[in-house]
Amino acid sequence: MAPIISTKNLCKYYGEEDNITKAVDNVSVKIDKGEFVAIIGPSGSGKSTLMHIIGCLDKPTSGQYFLENKQLAQFSENELAKIRNDQIGFVFQSFNLLPRTSAQKNVELPLVYAKVRAGEREKRAQDLLKKLGLGEKFQSTPAKLSGGQQQRVAIARALVNNPLILLADEPTGNLDTKASFEIMDILKNLNQEGITVVMITHEVDIAKQAKRIISMRDGKIVNDKKVIKNKKNADYGNI
Amino acid sequence: MQITEIFKLAIEAIRVNKLRSVLTSLGIIIGVAAIILLVSIGSGLQNYVTSEFKKLGANSIFILPGKVEISAAGTSAQSVNKLTFALMNKLEQAKSPNIEKVLPFIEIFVTASNKNSSKVTRLVASYSDYFAISGIKTSEGRIYTDSEEKSSKKVAVIGKTIAKDLYKNQSPIGKQISLSKKPFTVIGVFEPQGSVAGVDVDNAVIIPLSAGRNLTGTDLVNQVLVRTTSTENIQEAKKDIEKILLRTLSEDDFTIMTQEQLLSSILQILGVLTLALGGIAAISLVVGGVGISNIMLVSVTERTREIGLRKAVGARPSDILIQFLLEAVILSLVGGAIGLLIGATGSFLISAYIKSSVPLWAIFLGVGFSSLVGIIFGVAPAIRASRLDPIVALRYE
Repeated sequence: MAPIISTKNLCKYYGEEDNITKAVDNVSVKIDKGEFVAIIGPSGSGKSTLMHIIGCLDKPTSGQYFLENKQLAQFSENELAKIRNDQIGFVFQSFNLLPRTSAQKNVELPLVYAKVRAGEREKRAQDLLKKLGLGEKFQSTPAKLSGGQQQRVAIARALVNNPLILLADEPTGNLDTKASFEIMDILKNLNQEGITVVMITHEVDIAKQAKRIISMRDGKIVNDKKVIKNKKNADYGNI
Repeated sequence: MQITEIFKLAIEAIRVNKLRSVLTSLGIIIGVAAIILLVSIGSGLQNYVTSEFKKLGANSIFILPGKVEISAAGTSAQSVNKLTFALMNKLEQAKSPNIEKVLPFIEIFVTASNKNSSKVTRLVASYSDYFAISGIKTSEGRIYTDSEEKSSKKVAVIGKTIAKDLYKNQSPIGKQISLSKKPFTVIGVFEPQGSVAGVDVDNAVIIPLSAGRNLTGTDLVNQVLVRTTSTENIQEAKKDIEKILLRTLSEDDFTIMTQEQLLSSILQILGVLTLALGGIAAISLVVGGVGISNIMLVSVTERTREIGLRKAVGARPSDILIQFLLEAVILSLVGGAIGLLIGATGSFLISAYIKSSVPLWAIFLGVGFSSLVGIIFGVAPAIRASRLDPIVALRYE
């Protein structure tokens, strides 16, 4: 089966010639449909930059990136916006919900840009919120929701356009332990339903709940292993 | 993204920041209100002048002393007045078949007084035909007769303002009035005429021409109105007058204008004046536009994360651009509409004192100009918003 995400010698450099920062340095990685991948590494390891490139928020300096066999290098700003809209779902550490806007309207947001009609938007947003246990909270603004609930709204928003991949950037970073486990359960369930999940984290406990862990350091992949269930203290690389 | 969705977004953003939106629009509100008010005064004045001239009839010709050039650039006149009554009598006696009536008059400012008080007033001295031609009727007493005019009777028909100021609540008929310290008898009070451009028309005294000549002690007239026998022979009448006057005067000593010429000249001046005033008011619109630009830049900075998120979920740069541009346009359009309302209300309120009417084109101008201001001054903040890098925007605190 062809991988859903495939990069070849992907590089992202910042700065001028003599003071260059290699945020992503020659990364080649393949992620298949239905995988649940955790990318771990200390801050500055390049995991976020890699995810931004995968999520079409950023463009690589060199190398190739294929999303479902499509080369994205030559895509225009508008084409990338369309890919972000209907093929990628983002979940952020700080939720990034619109304040003063109801949970339902927040979830509808990607559909608005996909030009879906209001009635259809409403139905899809409500269905997803119900599925994520927020059936009573359609009209609540983010300020009236707990952190865990806000992140569930954000997940609903990421899923509303039936994306190819769900990209989660430290999804549990702002949550307490209980809410973190709730969110991880949701991500695992979604993955079991067939959604490809790529998640960034710096917590090993969280990363271990994925099926595959990629460790990064100084812009390079230093370890890439499948998670072996029930094996304590397995070596997932130098975190 | 559909335009209706973007429109809803913009309205929502304005609604959330009510006070700020109102303050932002204030510049536009004041600007549009000022334009509407000034233009309405200007066009009201034009309407008034036109209707007053129409009253005189299309068969009117004016003789003015000196070479008068009335143009948009201003009025220039040589001040030496050589129009004498003797000359006017000659004109009358020439019995041109085209001329029906020659009506010279004097118009000066004098002090009117009685034992109670005194007041500076406009004095008009003319034949009794003056009343019929200018449509002035008495509300009390009577106008002077031809024989009173011929015999230089010291009688006066006064305006409501003079009557009130000098005689309080008493009837002024039969009472004494001093004009430039010469005693006159009040025989009538004319109907209130209101005011034109803030000038009180009722602060006036009308006396027989002969009495006026005695009062001023000069042989000169300020202005002459000539009635032609019909509207068709206006040009012939003009030539007749020219021929007669040129016997004694040189070409630079007088100006002959038909009602149409005079009216169009005055309207042209008023038009330029209205435009100039409106132009000055338009400057405040530009200032209002800068205010909108400023607040939109603040708004873009405040909502950097929102913009980043919108881009992450699929907003194109053009979606963001239109969202912020529309917000600026709605701010200025709403401001324009409120300004329009205030301006029109103001115009209605002052119409009792100053003739004013809001022309339709001023409404379109106000609305058009304010939306233009919104577009021009909203573009820069909207472009800034649309160019934000989503990653940087999402990380923005």
